[in-house]
Amino acid sequence: MSELPPPRPGLPAPTADQPPVTSALPLSGMIAVNAVSKYFGSVVAVSDVSFAVDGGVTALLGPNGAGKSTLFRMMCGLTPPSRGSVDVLGRDPRDDRDVRGRISLVPQQDALFDHLSASEFLEFAARTHGVIDPDAAARHALSMVDLADVGAKPVGQFSKGMRQRVKVAAALVNDPEVLILDEPLTGLDPVQRRHMIALFHQLGDEGRCVLVSSHVLDEVARLGSRVLVIAQGRLVATGDYRDLRELMDDRAHRIRIATSDPRRLATALVERELAAGVSIGEHSVLVDTLDVDALGRRLAPISVELGVRLTEVAPLDDDLESVFRYLVEGR
Amino acid sequence: MSEIGAPARHVAPTVAIGLAYQVVLRQLTSRGRLIGLSLLALVAPLSGWALGSADASLDDAVNLVAGVGLGLVLPIVSLVFGGAALGELREDKTLVYLWLRPMDRWPIVVGAALAAMTLTAPIVLISIVAAAILTGAGNGIVFGTLLATVVGLIAYVSVFTLFGVWLKRFIVWGLAYILIWEGFIAQAGAGVARVALRKYTRSILVERTGADLDLADFGLATGIVIPLIVAVAALAIAAWRLANQDID
Repeated sequence: MSELPPPRPGLPAPTADQPPVTSALPLSGMIAVNAVSKYFGSVVAVSDVSFAVDGGVTALLGPNGAGKSTLFRMMCGLTPPSRGSVDVLGRDPRDDRDVRGRISLVPQQDALFDHLSASEFLEFAARTHGVIDPDAAARHALSMVDLADVGAKPVGQFSKGMRQRVKVAAALVNDPEVLILDEPLTGLDPVQRRHMIALFHQLGDEGRCVLVSSHVLDEVARLGSRVLVIAQGRLVATGDYRDLRELMDDRAHRIRIATSDPRRLATALVERELAAGVSIGEHSVLVDTLDVDALGRRLAPISVELGVRLTEVAPLDDDLESVFRYLVEGR
Repeated sequence: MSEIGAPARHVAPTVAIGLAYQVVLRQLTSRGRLIGLSLLALVAPLSGWALGSADASLDDAVNLVAGVGLGLVLPIVSLVFGGAALGELREDKTLVYLWLRPMDRWPIVVGAALAAMTLTAPIVLISIVAAAILTGAGNGIVFGTLLATVVGLIAYVSVFTLFGVWLKRFIVWGLAYILIWEGFIAQAGAGVARVALRKYTRSILVERTGADLDLADFGLATGIVIPLIVAVAALAIAAWRLANQDID
């Protein structure tokens, strides 16, 4: 498979005991995505993506529109790949009825049967999975997401965060071996986010394959160390989150500094090799720096020394989009 | 794994039909939809009462039942419930909660169609049979109307369930079928009318009453069997389509 797009250099190749992995050979794992592409007419949603994941939590990181949901839909058999193959637990989830009972999906869309209570919805989910004791499974799943007290309330009356938790609970009623969660933390408050992340880790520690997508870098940091980065439909990096973080820190950063004397401050920063480039405005200076930590440490003393006043220091590219831009385009 | 019992990895078709039936029935049961369609269905008994008051002939009565009841109320009510049975789940993206399950596709389609028939039946049967009674044209028309309506609702709901699975604007396509194909093009000749369900329900009515009605020249057996074959075929195609289409 010479056409396999190599993930961006800079992240180390994952080790055998630390999936996800990419390979030139057909991959195997609880989820194996082999040279998968997906086209919608002339639009390429996913392009030649290969990876495999096993038990534990893996984060799929990518900006909105990167192809995360399309990839997830293919893993669940909801749409077939245009090219390549997706195997879940060694089977094709689109054709194999039985494997669908071993997968659960938390879809991104906020769609539930609003006329049902949370308990009814979960019992329905359990029955449609052929669970032997749907009532017990529903109660257990509700307690796992802290909704046991409101089980009798119609989900149509729930807040976005509660609806999100109902979706997660519904995905747990069949005791799945593979759990695919598409932006499951959206709409949750910080306490519930922590609770959910702990739950995902617990499920991963039990040996389940838990694949979680997010477009928020900080969420991924807490989700776990295994990261797949997808941008513009391509897998651009795989490996450990800490390596991704280092990669972010190694690149040039752009900082906007609002000050009473932009020209004087810019000159000082260049002279002291804290700025690789500057762009001077009327009340601020844009600084490109390769050592953001040093700049942070020395900026205040320098401004005192020069007698200039600082009114704002703001990073302009410390967001996910810039990371993806860097990974994809190297800038 | 957790302490909750491991699932049987397969849902039996009868159980799947029941689950699809329950959830679709509740999904389709909205007060606005029931009131709106009941008001529409009132057109048939009101027309029957008006005709009955004018001491009309059997042919006039059969014409009214065939035109307003079997030609308008029956297909439109069937379209709203049949199309929405799976079309609404597809559009509001809740279909995934039935699709991504260890069950076959055909029980989902059958359960949804049965739910749509459950809601369609009382509205159209009461409305159209009441229209036949109120015309005062005798028992023959009442039994014929009952039989034609039952056969028609099974066929129409099944066909419109297929529309809901397959087509994005299933209501528009359904209305086009009812108003343009059946109401206009199929009137052009007996050949074209063969592919209009209306011809079969009209034939049943004529067979049971002996009235004189255009485009109603099939025998009773053909009038019953062909729509039922169409219903089975429509549900089979819907199941195939459901298995092979993209799900959001």
